[in-house]
Amino acid sequence: MWNAAWLVLFVFFGTQAATAQEMSDSEARSKIVALEQVAKLQAWENQDLKMLDELLDANFFYVDPSGKLQTKGQLMAFVQMANSLQFLTDAMVVRLHNDTAIVTGLYQIKGVVRGRPYVSRGRFVDTWLRQEGRWVEIASLATPER
Amino acid sequence: MKAIIRWLGLLCVIAPQICGQQQPETGTAAAIRALEHEWTVGQSRNDNRALDLIFDSALVYVEYGKLVSKGDYLSRIKREPSGMDQIVPEPMTVQVFGTTAIVTGTYVEKQLLGRRHEAMRWRFIDTWVYKKNGWVLVAAGSAPVAN
Repeated sequence: MWNAAWLVLFVFFGTQAATAQEMSDSEARSKIVALEQVAKLQAWENQDLKMLDELLDANFFYVDPSGKLQTKGQLMAFVQMANSLQFLTDAMVVRLHNDTAIVTGLYQIKGVVRGRPYVSRGRFVDTWLRQEGRWVEIASLATPER
Repeated sequence: MKAIIRWLGLLCVIAPQICGQQQPETGTAAAIRALEHEWTVGQSRNDNRALDLIFDSALVYVEYGKLVSKGDYLSRIKREPSGMDQIVPEPMTVQVFGTTAIVTGTYVEKQLLGRRHEAMRWRFIDTWVYKKNGWVLVAAGSAPVAN
């Protein structure tokens, strides 16, 4: 009898814990998608350097479609000097590994930089890290379609 | 006396976590570099078993606009004749953020196409995460370096 009661309690709390974990993961995924699709895209398009500064970790690295390595400062300078930039993403998938999130998807960048048209499309892979409850991007790579 | 024992006990519990975070970055960085080397060697020898151990099951690999899963990547390695491609690693940088590490660097891929040798330089970013059984690769991406 007691064994059966313990089993019921064990299953109940086990299920509760699993559900809480699933909810937490789901919230994290939604949060990251919002950061990618809203905050980051708006920061690029509106040249919102303050927003970009909040999204990117101080040690952030970016590999652009031409294979050039850029630091956070260099990326912000690129966004700032652009005459216009439009950043679109699609087919985004978030994979969680504890406090690390890997985001993959398709991107398309259109704009004018230093008076010249700038177009790039391909696939990206971004790495986000949860630091003190806040997600920050620590690395990003964009690779063009062949 | 009990208080001292309690503090020592607490220290034993906390110390590995502190060490995990502030462990000499060089130690963690060296471990990650060794894994990167294992990857290169494993790939050149078509050693899927070795690669399976260092790749997370949810690994994603992005190259030339394509998304490749762990299974696809290992199948490709298995199919390729050993020594067909030569990967020449160049200096890399390892940045450690607690239980996550980011590796950036370049490598040259040398391919034998018929009788012709072709070399291409790639810049990569790899993401490693410390899990139950050690560091595993969770994401990798590379972009061709424009001339």
